[in-house]
Amino acid sequence: MSAPAVEHTKPFRFPLGKSFAAFVLAPFCVLMAFPFVWMLLTSLREPSTIFGGPVIPDKLTFAGYSTAWTKIEFPLHFWNSVWITSVTVIGVLVFATLSGYAFAKLDFPFRNTLFVLLLTTLMMPSTALIIPLYLQLKTLGLLDTQTGLLILYISGSAPFAMFLMRAFFQTLPDELIEAARVDGGSELVIFWRVILPLTRPGIATVVIFQFLQTWNEFLIANTVLRDTDALPLQPVLFTLMGQYSTNWPALTAGLTLSVVPVVLVYVRMQRQFVAGMMLGAVKN
Amino acid sequence: MATATTVRPSAAPRPQQKAHRLGSPLRRSQRIAGYLFVLPTFALFLGFVLWPILRTTYLSLTRWGGFGSPRFIGLDNYSRMLGDPVARRAMIVTLALTAVTTVLLTFLGLLTAVLVNVVWKHVGVLVRTILFIPGIVSFVVSGVLWKLIYDPNIGTLNQVLGAIGLDSLQHPWLADSRTVLPAIIVVTVWGGLGFTMLIFFAGLQGIDPSLYEAAAVDGANTVQQFWNITVPSLRVVTGLVISLGLLNGFKAFDIIYVMTGGGPNHGSEVLGTYLYSLAFGSTSGSIPQLGYASAFSVVTMILCTIAVIAQLWLTRRADR
Repeated sequence: MSAPAVEHTKPFRFPLGKSFAAFVLAPFCVLMAFPFVWMLLTSLREPSTIFGGPVIPDKLTFAGYSTAWTKIEFPLHFWNSVWITSVTVIGVLVFATLSGYAFAKLDFPFRNTLFVLLLTTLMMPSTALIIPLYLQLKTLGLLDTQTGLLILYISGSAPFAMFLMRAFFQTLPDELIEAARVDGGSELVIFWRVILPLTRPGIATVVIFQFLQTWNEFLIANTVLRDTDALPLQPVLFTLMGQYSTNWPALTAGLTLSVVPVVLVYVRMQRQFVAGMMLGAVKN
Repeated sequence: MATATTVRPSAAPRPQQKAHRLGSPLRRSQRIAGYLFVLPTFALFLGFVLWPILRTTYLSLTRWGGFGSPRFIGLDNYSRMLGDPVARRAMIVTLALTAVTTVLLTFLGLLTAVLVNVVWKHVGVLVRTILFIPGIVSFVVSGVLWKLIYDPNIGTLNQVLGAIGLDSLQHPWLADSRTVLPAIIVVTVWGGLGFTMLIFFAGLQGIDPSLYEAAAVDGANTVQQFWNITVPSLRVVTGLVISLGLLNGFKAFDIIYVMTGGGPNHGSEVLGTYLYSLAFGSTSGSIPQLGYASAFSVVTMILCTIAVIAQLWLTRRADR
């Protein structure tokens, strides 16, 4: 009985074989990883040895890192990024869980009309909206403030996160909510006490998505913030490219330091990220 | 037999329950809660998405430098666009970049996904992670990194070419308007491949293995299996990859802005970089052309809408 079952689950195989596949994939991986390896090696070089010399430097130095750390006030901008990203993630979560739940489980007139309206914004890129968004912050007096940036980040991201959360809420059984209603819970209490605790995988997905997106955002931050003390990392790294065009170790050290949190969070939450990506991509 | 009997009773109450729910009067508290829960997101949407879309559409019909009030000029900005060589160039570059990256990503994504699906499990996970890391770093990081790699004097690419005796191929990659676009395409594909591969990989995992078994029994060889089972089964996934490629191509900005700013001589100018320089690039004291730039916003929005419609069309289920 068990033999045919095993055979049925055997995945499709190319007869070319595993070794052939690995043989073709190896150069791909080398090319894909090369820029990062090169970035690390360059960041550990003496500034004077970037002109030629062996691929792997004879002598490693952290001079690039200390230059990046002090001269560009790395800690300040790092914490700006941490702060802006944290507030955005929390803000997006609040907006997206509330509206996602309403669209998934609450019955109210015009529900679908409102949902489709919000959904249409998913496809509007910030490149196309940057002019009116800039003007909007100017009108509100929020230009050049982190508050203004946070509003744009949260409003820009909330619809997509709402869409993801709605998909998660839809997997919860209606009976659960009906039972809680029979027990006399108000809608907000049901949402807070019954629903949210069951939504942790969905929340984890939104958190990692939003973290990566906000941490990496460049266009809006570079446009609406001019106050250098308020800038997050990405625009600073961009200006660094002009200022430190000859000090490659300092420049690559700055890049490396900015990438570390991203890679750590990705490796830690890879599974949720892939799951969420599939949900977002396939259902989108 | 056992499964058949368990399915029936559980299937029966469902329609009943639904009928009951629809038949009962809509509960007031649920309705109020629904609106309250949606209100915050909707308010942000109105103020920072819908209104900006309407405003930029209106601005595209005006001449405005940012001071005073916009002057309505109808469709003049759009006819100006047709006669503007830089705008035409930006349009061609945008479409070329989009077409080439979409084709490359679709092809390489499918290839790597099929191969990753074949190798040993742990190797597959490792390869997936390596291919994916370029996609999670910011465009600024990848743009700066590759700008350094392409550097004409001390960049690694030229050094490597010199080291292996191909000095004749050494080139100022980003400073030549003929090589700048291919150079940017390489970076775009480098950053997007992991994502595409993963979507295809998920699609491959979703194919029922018994289809291959049946085909093998019928005597189909691997190539036939690939064309008759794998390719049709990946129809929806491929549609998704293509439309995402279109969407990302139409809104291209960050990588190009970081690496070349649209240069040299507009060789890598896309709609995004051109509109940005028209609106915000007034470094030499020239007046920002917010009306004209808005017309490019509208064109970008239209292109992105087309990509989304393409997605809906390409990802229709086969049963339609």
